[in-house]
Amino acid sequence: MKIENHILTILQLYEYAMAIGKSLDYNESCNNFIRLILKRKNLNAAWILSNENNKYVCKYSIPFGRKSIVKTQPDLNNLLHGIDSFELFNNNALALSTAPIKLKDGHLAVFNLKEEGYLFLYSKKNNIDAQDLSKLQPVISKFMNALKACRVFSDQQRLLKNLEKQNQELSDYAHMVSHDLKSPLRSIDALTSWITEDYYDHFDVEGKNQLNEIRFSVNKMDAMIKGILDYSTIDKNQSETYDVDLYTLVKETVSCMSVPENISVMIDELPKVRGDKFRLQQLFQNLVDNAIKYNDKEQGLVNISVVDNNQFWKFYVSDNGKGIDSKYFDKIFQTFGKLENRKDSTGIGLAVVKKIVHMYEGSIWVESTLGLGTTFFFTLRK
Amino acid sequence: MFIYSTQTTEVVNAIKKHVRSNTALISIAEHTDIDVEGLIQELNKEGIAFMGGIFPKVIHGNKIFEKGIVANTLHNIEKLFVIRGISYKNYRIPPIDFKDRDYSLFTYVDGLTSNISHFLNRLYLNYGMETTYFGGGAGSLSLEQKPCVFNNEGLFEDAAVVGVMRMTSRIGVKHGWKKVDGPFIVTKADGNIIKEINWKNPFEVYRSVVEKHSKRKFNEHNFFDLAKGYPFGLVKKEGECIVRDPLMVNESGELICVGEVENNAVVDILNGNKESLINAAKSAAAECIYQSENPRKAIIIDCISRILFLEKHFDEELNAITKLIKDQYPDVSIGGALTIGEISSYGEGFLELYNKTTVVGMFEL
Repeated sequence: MKIENHILTILQLYEYAMAIGKSLDYNESCNNFIRLILKRKNLNAAWILSNENNKYVCKYSIPFGRKSIVKTQPDLNNLLHGIDSFELFNNNALALSTAPIKLKDGHLAVFNLKEEGYLFLYSKKNNIDAQDLSKLQPVISKFMNALKACRVFSDQQRLLKNLEKQNQELSDYAHMVSHDLKSPLRSIDALTSWITEDYYDHFDVEGKNQLNEIRFSVNKMDAMIKGILDYSTIDKNQSETYDVDLYTLVKETVSCMSVPENISVMIDELPKVRGDKFRLQQLFQNLVDNAIKYNDKEQGLVNISVVDNNQFWKFYVSDNGKGIDSKYFDKIFQTFGKLENRKDSTGIGLAVVKKIVHMYEGSIWVESTLGLGTTFFFTLRK
Repeated sequence: MFIYSTQTTEVVNAIKKHVRSNTALISIAEHTDIDVEGLIQELNKEGIAFMGGIFPKVIHGNKIFEKGIVANTLHNIEKLFVIRGISYKNYRIPPIDFKDRDYSLFTYVDGLTSNISHFLNRLYLNYGMETTYFGGGAGSLSLEQKPCVFNNEGLFEDAAVVGVMRMTSRIGVKHGWKKVDGPFIVTKADGNIIKEINWKNPFEVYRSVVEKHSKRKFNEHNFFDLAKGYPFGLVKKEGECIVRDPLMVNESGELICVGEVENNAVVDILNGNKESLINAAKSAAAECIYQSENPRKAIIIDCISRILFLEKHFDEELNAITKLIKDQYPDVSIGGALTIGEISSYGEGFLELYNKTTVVGMFEL
């Protein structure tokens, strides 16, 4: 009979244990396990309190309770903090006061769930004893870990949702700002254009310079706004992907750029990749543009090449320009992360490049030596 | 009160006279020749509040009836409502502002619908220990699901009617089935279907135990005939296990029960005899009589499969219950029904659906 009881106890613990970890939803996880314990042990109620900002908050209860917050008080804190793993209380008014439902008397088992708070199991009649609790303890530990997993999962989900929301808000904001800014900018552009046409001869040299400065600033701002728009819409407008002959594309792109006479752009054989022609053009154009713009050598060299890297193509655009201090390697990929305050730089080009590479599930990094030059590497999936 | 008449007007008048301004609990035997929807209309015209169900048989005094209507008075009704779509789990339990006094909840649920345990869970989650719980599963012995519970709002299938009363009640629950073999683990289950026992085909496991104990063989036609004496018992820490009645076996050897069985539940295979069942019914009655102080009426919810098992001896079970009640409280009226599943909070614990069990309730004011 003793062995039979022992087997029965083990099987019941197996049943409880198997009810744990079936869900990453906190409530469902509690329902699966706690409801089973209540049924099998003829208990009446259960609840979980967790300490948040000096208050005990009821995270779960069967049956539903009215009280969701229990004020901390020294006596209650002492009582709960004194529980190492579990404790049994008989008709303890203070312990019963933690219940989200009205309880006058009864038997209460309290398990310390560490970071997850305290689990209370209530029996109106005397259906729980210390021996029971001791047998339950390992299963309760498993339950505690399951609750922790639920909490971590829920935090992750919340974080993801927040990130998604913030990304959307940022994208919307960029879109809105760009469009709103473009309108007055066009007015300024039109007005300065008319002034130039009608009154240019009436200005003295300084006035003419200032007028040109206005028009230059307007154009720069227009380029920046376009950059913001581009950046914010790269991964929003998912275009179709198709085979793109990169060698032809890059060659055409470079031929359309104004490359100074002292700079040579070398293009090695490049493969075909799947992607969108416009995005890939943007990617190479921005990198080549930077390589040209920041080249201080008498004979500037820009080289575009590729190596086979298993599942990826590893491309690189190298130059013999000024080089970049390694402490700025991260900053240069940030939006408006300019290292020099050049009039013809918007500070968005490399941010756009990074976003395009990520959109194609690749990665991008830079290697550079000050005074000798810089190489931008990026990968694209084959 | 027992009503023999099948004339709607006479039935309505009898109920009206019996319950006066109170609420009527109406239990109708399934073979009663009465138009239940017509009865509902007439009761509504008379302004009588009511709830009820249609059952395989009904109980009045120490007799069971295949035809006829039992009417009981539900005093001090706090709330009367219907929950529809039990199987879909998508419903709301109405809130009740419980005061600091005793309440009793009475419910008749469609006993052939699925997810009854979920409904009971929801009731307990919302009302907890504020009330006692008492009730049973309505429906036809043919096991064909059809509208079987009703209240002022109509006659419903896949639903439960509920009445909450400001009333003290004492409840006794017992079944008397004893372990034959076990424990086993239900390693796979889905609702009320046992799909695996001890990682094996459940019918193979069940058959080996039942055939050995009964010294009879299962064949294509006698599953229920043999299985009605060998239910499963969900093992609990103390007290009697919760009985699950295997109704049929499907072509995959899966066992279909009345009531849900959880995955990994620990079960025994049970058997009973005339003495153990009748003694259990007496204990259920004694348990609530012992706790009662001034009962006005007794309601017996007894499982229809007990009568299928006990056959002619069921009268002895009913007599044993009613005798105990009448000996102690001669003026108490006794009514009830033979149900498909019984409902109560076991020993004031969590609310459960039982099979093959006797539930006796003594209601005070």
